[in-house]
Amino acid sequence: MSKGNRNRFSSRRTAAVAGRVLTQIRRDKRTLGMMMLMPALIMLIFGFALGGQVSNIPILVDNQDSGYTANLGPSSISLHLGSQLTESLQNDSTVSVTIGTFSSGVSGVDSGTYSAAIFIPSNFSQTMLQKSRGMNTTPSIELYIDGTKPALDAGVMGALQGSVQNASGVKGFSLIQHYAFGGVKFSGLDVSLPSVIAFVLTFLVLLISLLTITRETTSGTLPRLYTTPLTAFERLLGYTIALLLLSILMVAVILVIGVGLFGAVVRGNLALLFSSAVLYALTNVLLAVFLSNFAKNELQAVQLAPLIAFPSMALSGMLVPVTTLPTWIQPLSKIIPMYYANQLFEGIMLKGYDVGTLSFTFLIVICMAILFFVLALSTVKDRMD
Amino acid sequence: MKAVDGLTLRIKKGEIYALIGANGSGKSTTVNMLTGALAPTSGSITVLGIEMPKQRHQVAARIGVAPQEYSVYSDLTLEQNARFFARLYGMDSRRFEARFHEMTEILRLEGKERTLVSNFSGGMKRRASILCSLIHEPEVVFFDEATVGVDPVLRAFLWGYFRSLSKGGLTILLTSHVMDEAGKADRIGLLRAGKLVDEGEPDNLMARHNARSIEEVFLKLSEKEFSNE
Repeated sequence: MSKGNRNRFSSRRTAAVAGRVLTQIRRDKRTLGMMMLMPALIMLIFGFALGGQVSNIPILVDNQDSGYTANLGPSSISLHLGSQLTESLQNDSTVSVTIGTFSSGVSGVDSGTYSAAIFIPSNFSQTMLQKSRGMNTTPSIELYIDGTKPALDAGVMGALQGSVQNASGVKGFSLIQHYAFGGVKFSGLDVSLPSVIAFVLTFLVLLISLLTITRETTSGTLPRLYTTPLTAFERLLGYTIALLLLSILMVAVILVIGVGLFGAVVRGNLALLFSSAVLYALTNVLLAVFLSNFAKNELQAVQLAPLIAFPSMALSGMLVPVTTLPTWIQPLSKIIPMYYANQLFEGIMLKGYDVGTLSFTFLIVICMAILFFVLALSTVKDRMD
Repeated sequence: MKAVDGLTLRIKKGEIYALIGANGSGKSTTVNMLTGALAPTSGSITVLGIEMPKQRHQVAARIGVAPQEYSVYSDLTLEQNARFFARLYGMDSRRFEARFHEMTEILRLEGKERTLVSNFSGGMKRRASILCSLIHEPEVVFFDEATVGVDPVLRAFLWGYFRSLSKGGLTILLTSHVMDEAGKADRIGLLRAGKLVDEGEPDNLMARHNARSIEEVFLKLSEKEFSNE
């Protein structure tokens, strides 16, 4: 801009660049559609996902309270505080109450069926009444709670407190609280790291895989490959193997930082955690192999990664537990691979689950991986259009 | 729209056949159909007596292709490119080493084995692409615009090389929009708007159309078409 008139700012030149960029984008209909669709889709998904209220947290209640009849001079009063409390919990939409034995509730919490199990002892009404008369007794309720999902734990506690207030006279009891997993209260980092690992793997593995495969299309080498003995199956498998090896490195880096640097809790087997992370990465590699059949260039490939990763973040249970999502969205969560990745990583890291406990989840992830490869094979182009 | 229509070609073993025509006349489409990269909507193609594209995986190992685009990986070295293609054609490492060494000498790429193709000039990329198409000693080779963007010295050299390959029994189909270089081929097919307008040995073609060059033959045929329209 220093050399006289010719180098002065030209609005026409600037407009020419802006116009050219817009023309190019307009020509790429998919990019244009994505630019409109993606913000709308992401806003809708996050809006629905985060706007939901904690509801229907599965809990089990074992009410053994036999009630108590107290003679107060001429009249007598009958107290059934355990039943009142149970009814109040049943009327609270935050929780979904199953009646059963405490021991089945405990094993249900251990296996992830319930978020909490509540035990009301047989002398609950009696001790409550005695306490209200100034006697030195301590009425108690036993609570066995998951402890790996702060939002759900808070929901259970809230429902319990609300019910206590509803059941008149239930005051001053002590809550005997046990955490299902280790009895330690996990830090915020501990409980969020499993899903952070799942998200990083989802986003980066998809992105890098899509870019790597699409490069073949844009480099003009693909038509050349069509003329060689290389089959589409061999080509896709070749991509998969290379990207899997890269993913293993990525998993190693993630775990070294997550576990090594931040000291994330890994109550289960570290080797199992590593293997399941590699398995999940492979699933994303195969998803990318499938999706790359629909990306004509790198720009379109780059758009596909967030299109999968952001809805996964919202719906997989990473931001809010799936049980708190609106009921009509919840089935969607079950078809998102990251939902199962969260289950695997949380299971191994926070709950110390082994292969046996997680076998069903592993099976689903493996089936998804196979499905993606089959879809990739059935949509791959083996020659030019 | 049809890129190629009612085209009938018959190319003999050991022949250099030049398919010439203007840009967009259907040369690349023809090559892509012959190599199995593109399926024809109708008609039949046999390469080495084998039906295409149905049994193209049987043919694939016996043909070589140097497409119009350079079609080598620019982020690999020359050797890495050649080795990749050799492996696709099932060559073992020892045969590859010998063949690669021989080919780099013939194509004057020695000393460039470890250079990234992205650092090659246009002419070198063209030679690299030709090298990769011949590495597995195919019986038929397709050169799509093999001499485009190549300087006259290299072009003369390449033609000498093609001739020596043909003497060794290799069948070569090449395309070009440079009419005069096609005069060096054994036979020429003139393509216009996807149709074969004439075909023959260069001398016969020129005599038949009373022309002094292939370019003149092509121009006369084009004029005829214009007046017919």
